[in-house]
Formats: sequence, C-alpha cells, structure tokens
Amino acid sequence: MSDEGPLGGRLLGIAVAALVMLAGVLAVGATLRGGPDVPAHPEPGTLETGQPITEEAAVFSTRAADLAVDPTVQGRPGASGRSLAGFRALRAYPGAPPRIPHALADDEFLQATCNQCHRRGGWAPRFGAYAPVSPHPEFSNCLQCHVPANTGELFRPTGWVAAAWPVTGRRAMEGSPPVVPHALEMRGNCVSCHAGPAAVAEIRTTHPERANCRQCHVPALGGPEPGAAFSRPLERPGGAAPPDGPDGRGGGA
Amino acid sequence: MSPVERRIFLKRMAMAAAAASASSLVPDVAFGEELGGYVGDPEALEWRKTPCRFCGVGCGLLVGLENGRAVAVKGDPESSVNRGLCCVKGYHSVQALYGGDRITRAQVRRDGRLVEVSIEEALDVVAERIRSTIAEHGKDSVAMYGSGQWTIPDGYVASKLFKGALGTNNVEANARLCMASAVTGFMSTFGLDEPMGCYEDIDHADVFVLWGNNMAEMHPVLFSRMLERRRTGQGVQIIDLATRTTRTSYAADRSLLFAPQSDLAIANAICHELVANHWVDESFVERHVAFKRGKTDIGYGLEDGFSFTDEATDVGWDEYVAFLADYTPERVEAISGVPAEDIRWLASLYGDPARKVTSFWCMGMNQHTRGTWINNLVYNVHLLVGKIAEPGNSPFSLTGQPSACGTVREVGTLTHALPHGVVTNEDDRRMAAEIWGVPLENIDPRPTYHTVEMFRALDRGDIRFMWVQVTNPMVTMPHLNRYRAGAEKEGRFLVVSDVYPTPTTDVADVILPASMWFEQEGLFGNSERRTQHFAQLVDPPGDCMSDTWQLIEVARRLGYEELFPWSYEEHIDGIWAEYTRFHDNPKHRMAPLDELKERPGIMWPYVDGQETKWRYNTRHDPAADAEYGDFDFYGKPDHRAWIWLRPYEPPPEVPDAEYPMWLNTGRVVEHWHTGSMTRRVPVLHQAVPNAYVEVNRLDAAEMGIRNRERVRLVTRRGSLELEARIDYRGQPTRGQVFVPFFDEGLLVNELTLDSFCPISKQPDYKKCAVRLERIGGRTAS
Repeated sequence: MSDEGPLGGRLLGIAVAALVMLAGVLAVGATLRGGPDVPAHPEPGTLETGQPITEEAAVFSTRAADLAVDPTVQGRPGASGRSLAGFRALRAYPGAPPRIPHALADDEFLQATCNQCHRRGGWAPRFGAYAPVSPHPEFSNCLQCHVPANTGELFRPTGWVAAAWPVTGRRAMEGSPPVVPHALEMRGNCVSCHAGPAAVAEIRTTHPERANCRQCHVPALGGPEPGAAFSRPLERPGGAAPPDGPDGRGGGA
Repeated sequence: MSPVERRIFLKRMAMAAAAASASSLVPDVAFGEELGGYVGDPEALEWRKTPCRFCGVGCGLLVGLENGRAVAVKGDPESSVNRGLCCVKGYHSVQALYGGDRITRAQVRRDGRLVEVSIEEALDVVAERIRSTIAEHGKDSVAMYGSGQWTIPDGYVASKLFKGALGTNNVEANARLCMASAVTGFMSTFGLDEPMGCYEDIDHADVFVLWGNNMAEMHPVLFSRMLERRRTGQGVQIIDLATRTTRTSYAADRSLLFAPQSDLAIANAICHELVANHWVDESFVERHVAFKRGKTDIGYGLEDGFSFTDEATDVGWDEYVAFLADYTPERVEAISGVPAEDIRWLASLYGDPARKVTSFWCMGMNQHTRGTWINNLVYNVHLLVGKIAEPGNSPFSLTGQPSACGTVREVGTLTHALPHGVVTNEDDRRMAAEIWGVPLENIDPRPTYHTVEMFRALDRGDIRFMWVQVTNPMVTMPHLNRYRAGAEKEGRFLVVSDVYPTPTTDVADVILPASMWFEQEGLFGNSERRTQHFAQLVDPPGDCMSDTWQLIEVARRLGYEELFPWSYEEHIDGIWAEYTRFHDNPKHRMAPLDELKERPGIMWPYVDGQETKWRYNTRHDPAADAEYGDFDFYGKPDHRAWIWLRPYEPPPEVPDAEYPMWLNTGRVVEHWHTGSMTRRVPVLHQAVPNAYVEVNRLDAAEMGIRNRERVRLVTRRGSLELEARIDYRGQPTRGQVFVPFFDEGLLVNELTLDSFCPISKQPDYKKCAVRLERIGGRTAS
C-alpha cells in the first residue's frame, strides 16, 4: 500500500500557511456570464444561475472546525505519512486526479463512501494512517475521477510522456514567500496537502496556524519568472505591439 | 523511447540535476531563471481547448502541449458544459494517443496476410475496389459504415461521396446502435430531432427522474452537476428508475427497480394517474398537443429483410383516456414489480405544478425493442403537465458519443437521411443536389439498409465492399458470431480506418492508419446541440491521415475532384461553409467557424449572435411564433407536439426453463465503448482490466456461486466464461446478470440478440434470455 490518499489535493511547492478562511465564494453572481450567452428574451426569475469561480471555489471550502484533527497537529508517532514521491506516483501527470491507493470493500466501491473519511480526515486504524482531506468534499461522485488499480499490468505498452513536475520553493528573493506553482481548480484548499497530520512531508507548512494562505502566497502560472522585471509596453493598448512585448503567456517551457 | 521522448527526458534530467545541485549550495533561492526560464512548470505549457474525445456530454478540455506532444489535461473552466470538471476518462484522455501499438502504416491483405504498403498505394487499392465492385455488382453493393465519433467533416464528406457521387444510400453509422430510437422518438413526437432544452435545465430542476440511466458512470460530469444542484437547492430530489442497482441508485433519493421492458407500462401508469388526479395542464394540452394512435404488435426485426412503417391515426382525448384505463398502478405493479403506491408517488412529482421536473435517459430507453415507443411515452408524461421546453422542465435524451448528434443526426449519415431532411423527399434531394453540385438523379430516393440489415446484407452477399471508420463492429454488433462469419466470407472486402488493432482490423482487407482527435482539425456536436471546434494541436504519427482526408483522396481517385476541391489547409473551412448552407434557417442555423474557433462551443439554432437554449419556447426561440401562444412546436405541420398511444408489448426473447435469466449489457465509467482507446490508458486499464459478470447475491447463493468464481453464460447464440462478481460495481435484480462490453477478449455480443425497434431499427442490448452455469475455481487475480 502506498502512503498516499485518494483525494489529496495537488498542492506542491513551498510551505503555504494553512488554516482556512471562513468566507465562502462558491456562488459568485450571475454577472459572470452574459454577452452572447444571454437568451434573446430573458424570462424573469430564470436568468443564468450563478456559476462558481472554479479556480477560487475550493479555497475556503473546508474550515478548520470541519476537520477531525487540528491542522496544526503533526500526528502520532508511527503513523504512515505521505511523501512527495508517493504523491506523484499516484498521478499520471501534474494535476491529474490521483488513483485510489488502498483496497476498497465491494460495498465501498458500489456506494462511493469515500467522504466518510476524506471529508474531515482523521485517524484511520484500518490503514494506520491519517486520512488525507479532500480539497473538494462538495463533490460526492468520487469514483467519477478516482479509480483503484486492480492490476499492475498494461494492456499494451505506452509511449506517453507526462508534463514535468514543477520546481518547488520558487520565490523572488531570499526570505520572500514562495509562489504557488500549480493551478487551483479542484485543489485550492491548501490544508489538504500542506497542513495537518496527513500533509505531504516535503511540502508541509511551517506555520499552519496562519489561516489566510493566499495573503502571502500567490499563484505564478506561466507569467514572468518571480523576480523578473516588469517591462512597460512601448505602445499604448490599441497601437502596434512592441517587438518583444509581453504576450501574457511568458516564455513557455 | 522515441527520439522525441528521449529528448524530453534528457532535457528534464539535465534541468533537475542542475536545480538539485544549485539548491544544495544556496537553499531557498530560485534557480529557474539561471536555467533559461521556467523549469518543468506545467502551468507554462501551452494550453489549448478541445472537446473531450469520449462521450456525448462534450466536456471542454484544455490540453497541455510540450514539444508537439500532449502531456497534461485539465477541465476548461470556460466551458459551460463542465465548468472545469472532467471524469477519469477525460483527465487521462490524451494518453490514448500514445499507445505503443498505434497503427501508423497502411496494410493490405495479400495471400491472406496483411502487408505494409504506402498509404498512397492503399488508397489506390480502396478506390479500385469500389470501382470494380460497383461495375460487377451494382452501386448498392458498396457501403460506408461510420460512427458518432466521426467529426462533422468526416460524416459530411462520406455522405457526399456515397449519396451524392456514387449514388447509393448505403451510409450508416454506429449511432444506429446507440441513439436511433431517440431520433425516431423526437421525430414522431415533435417532427424535429434533438432536445428542446439544454444542460442548464439541471440548474433549475427540482426533481430529476432517471429512466434506466446509470448517469453516475455514463454521464458523470452531468451527474455531478445534478448532485451540486441538490446540495445547494431546496428540496431537490433524484429518483433512479432502473433494472439494476448502481452507484446512481445509491446517490439517488429513491431507487425504484422495475422488470425489463416494463418502463412502457410505468410511463402509461404515470399518465393514468395524471389524468385520474386532474393534474393535466389542460390549457397546454388543448393548445399545444395532438393525439395519435400508431400500429401495434409491430414485430422485432429478427428476420432478414424485415420491414415496418408506422402510420399515425388521429384520435381524441376520450380515446386516450380509454387507452390509459389498462394502466392502473395496480395492473402495472403486476407487470413491473414497482409498488402501485410508488407509481402514484412518482406521478405526483410530475403532477405537482410547483416542481420543475427533468427526465434523463440514454441507452436503457434507446436500446429497446420498443425504443421509439418509450421515448414517445416519456414525452407524453411531460406534455400532459406542460413541463417542457422551459428552464428546469425538460425531457432530456442524453447521447452516448461525442458527435452522434453533430455528425450522425445533423449531417444525416444514416441510410434514409441527408444533411437536411430525408432521401424520400424530393425537395430535400433537390437541396442536396444543388449544394453538392450533382445531378438530382444521383441521389437515390430509396433508403437501403439500416445497420443490422447492412451486416446481414454483407453476410448474404448483397453488399460486397464495406468501409468502416472510427468504430469496431466486430465487438459491438449483436449476435456477433453471424456478422463476423459474414464479414470473413469469400468475396467480401472490408476496409477499416482505425488507430489501433482491433477485432475489426483483424478481419480487414485494407487497414488505413487514421489520425485521431486533435491530430487533425475537426468539429463535434454534443447532446445539447452544442457545436465544438478543435484545431490540430499535434502532428499525427507516421502515415496517419484524417478520415475526412482519406475519403477525399479516394473520391479524387474515383474522378470526383470537382466535388472535393479543397486544399488540405482550407478543407475544414470549405466543408463547414458548404455544410452549413443545409441548415441556414432560424430552426437550425449554426455558428460561423471563426466564432467556433474562439469559444468552447456554441449551441444551435444560433440566430443573430444568440444561442437558443429552449427551443419551441416563444420567449427563447426566435423560430417559435408567438401566434401559437407560449410554445410553438413548429416541427409538426399542425404546430403541436403529438401524444402517442403506445401500449406495453413484451420483448421477443424472455427467460424460460432452458434460459431462465435476463442478460443485460452496458458500460463502466473507466472504459469507452470497445476499449480500443481506454485500455491503452494505464490508469483506466488497471482499474478495470477485464470484463466480468454481475450476479445477484441471492441467485448466486442458490446456485452455490461464490464471489470471483468462474461461471459460464449460455444463450441461444453463444457461450462465454467470465468471473462472477457479487455486490461489486452494480447489483442486478434477481434473475438478471450484467456484463460490460468493452473487453475484446470476452465478447458478450456473441451472446446478445439482434432484435431491434421496428421504427428506429436500433438493437436491444439490454434484454435476452441466458443460462448461468457454475464452473467453480477462483480467477487468478
């Protein structure tokens, strides 16, 4: 059995502050869509329903009080913990939903009872480990994305090459807070991987008592390298783009 | 390791080593910049949009590209279909491009052996064989068999070549096996195909009734959206109405189990209760509904050459009420096993004017010897209470394949169909002849063979040449032993375009290496009338060529250059411009290609820059005329939707003393259809490596069968040994077994029956009689 839980989020990088905020941003307004999507003749009371901001949705969805174990707790001695290598081995590529690393009783498989343990975490005597907390416990059709392995064999060989794992601990300068090196959709709840007794050892935060993680840690997703200088475009918007102006995507891999 | 893989690998090793040694010297300092920009940052990949390759939900994906290869996937948050969420197939979908045994060269059978040839030579062989077969046996001896996984351009050029140029209506697609009953259901009730609503109905409904539909596995992203609606809404309920207990049943608020085929009686019983309790929306029915009686005792299509044409007779309200008298909840309890009180309760949900009700269904209702009827009957329920064509009130027929709607239904790649209308209608033929630039007489007014009959014709020798693209009939045809033997007969010539070796390529005379998904530019159309464009994002391997371009190359070799004049660079633009002329009216206008390239899909009718979310609703649909009130069912000449009087009739083969159980077949969430792609994805294969048979716990105990023991299934058509699973992924009702069909090594379709709905000609894979035998001995695994 691997040391990695089925629903652990994929927060990598850096020590990120852990406890989670009290505010919820699940449904953010009907104003997000519009333009050409709005029906020609809107019907009162049945306008567009609010869509969550998917990138932000999970950030504040689990509150410390919802967890079975205080996220500042390191865990009991002898508990089997999660390692970064095990974490990665369960994922086909960075950002992929992890496989289920443990055996499932047939009724668990049929009824998808995963959230019994993974919604709040806590000690699981059956595995001698703390259950990792799902970064998205609001979803309950878990086996839609997370599947067990019932054989180690391949049907046919594969030539697949995955994207590389991001480098952890990138920061602009000595002492500054590291950036978040991954997207936040479905895995914006920092607690899942970075705090509590089920945290992944190498990326466990040093300061789980600080709750507002993204006060200091910001995603760096394909923009200029942290610390790289901002260069002002030579032309105003609408004019011709400068020869080497920023393209909004950064240098690429 | 290919040179590309090796290059990526070496580059990464070098970077990792440099970063590791640097970090050990100066901890906590970033070294990305020194290494020339971002190192191994997946978010710095190039992310490009595409619809998912797999099911009919049509999720928007973002594919991460590096060095010309797809290396990661995420859900597209901009797509209104899935809002960033996928399922396990979608998340691992791009791995399906990189199976080690990808077909990259053409092969031609010579002296019984497949030998590699250049693709040019293989295309010459195909064209020459079409020419010689027509010369010897006539134009209706050559056939095209495609798929709901064809892109829209694939299906369009196939139809144009076969129907417009060669002049035969021998064009069919595997979608006949998956949604033909949905089409005939729509056509007979509304006169126009495809749902009136859209996925946004999920966000408005209060009650969901799933008719024989294991959505948790088959349409998981929509299922999760429905669970989200229940979690955040007030008093939202999900009712699972099924013949087998599944994950969907456990997630639902109620699970009602019914005897196979008795859904016909249940739907009528609901209508009986709606009438008896005065829950009918009388003003809606008076204004928008007409009543029709069709033929009864209509047969099952088991004989070669079976033919049936339905006939509508006008009837009135009183006759309809008299018809329903046979379907009291008590009588239907005796047929279905569903308690009368539960039928009344279900009817009360449909009948409650304060609740919005959405019904979902897919293969349970479509793969049904009375598939058209059960589609009609569920529309009846919604029409009686006027819960249709407005947000949350939606009878919603889900589709199985990514472009069953976009390609097969909208382009019309079925024997009777044209891109607009049907071959039997002269106006429709005239339109096709004009747009295609062919003489009117080229287009034959007689439909030829539907799919089952087409394979029977191949067996008989009426068809001598068949070209199969993007589908695997030697796994999916029911009563498979007959049709495989037929395909292997002397004098039959089978061309197969595919990406991996399959049981179908095993019997091919020519194998053409196909490009797949975003190795080519293309378009799909999903279940909610949403057209989705994808650009070519990576190069296809070897000699692989898109199905569209294979067809164009063969057409040119047959002398039809002027009908297929496009350059490779511009052919998708050219095809789209030509094809959309067929639908250039407010009922079906499609978005221009430049908008489709920018957005994650656009729903038709797309009129004046607006998508139409609820057709027939005069507040949402510009084609609906307010002269008819709030709704205008303009598909029918009387501007009404038709309620059909469709009785319960039993299936053709029912359990008896010799074959005492029902055999049901279907899918699992991990695998796509016949597994030719998903079994080559490690995560998916390793989750479900082989087929198995689900047995009810009580049946197993009675027969002394233990979990994971080997058992044998025997039907009148074949037998198959499988591992028995008890209370595993699903729990069949007593007297029923269930087998998934994805496993080419364990072909359950050698056991199934090739009966079909006489109206839609879609086979019933859900019901035939089987005997379960204990073998004993645990499976080694």
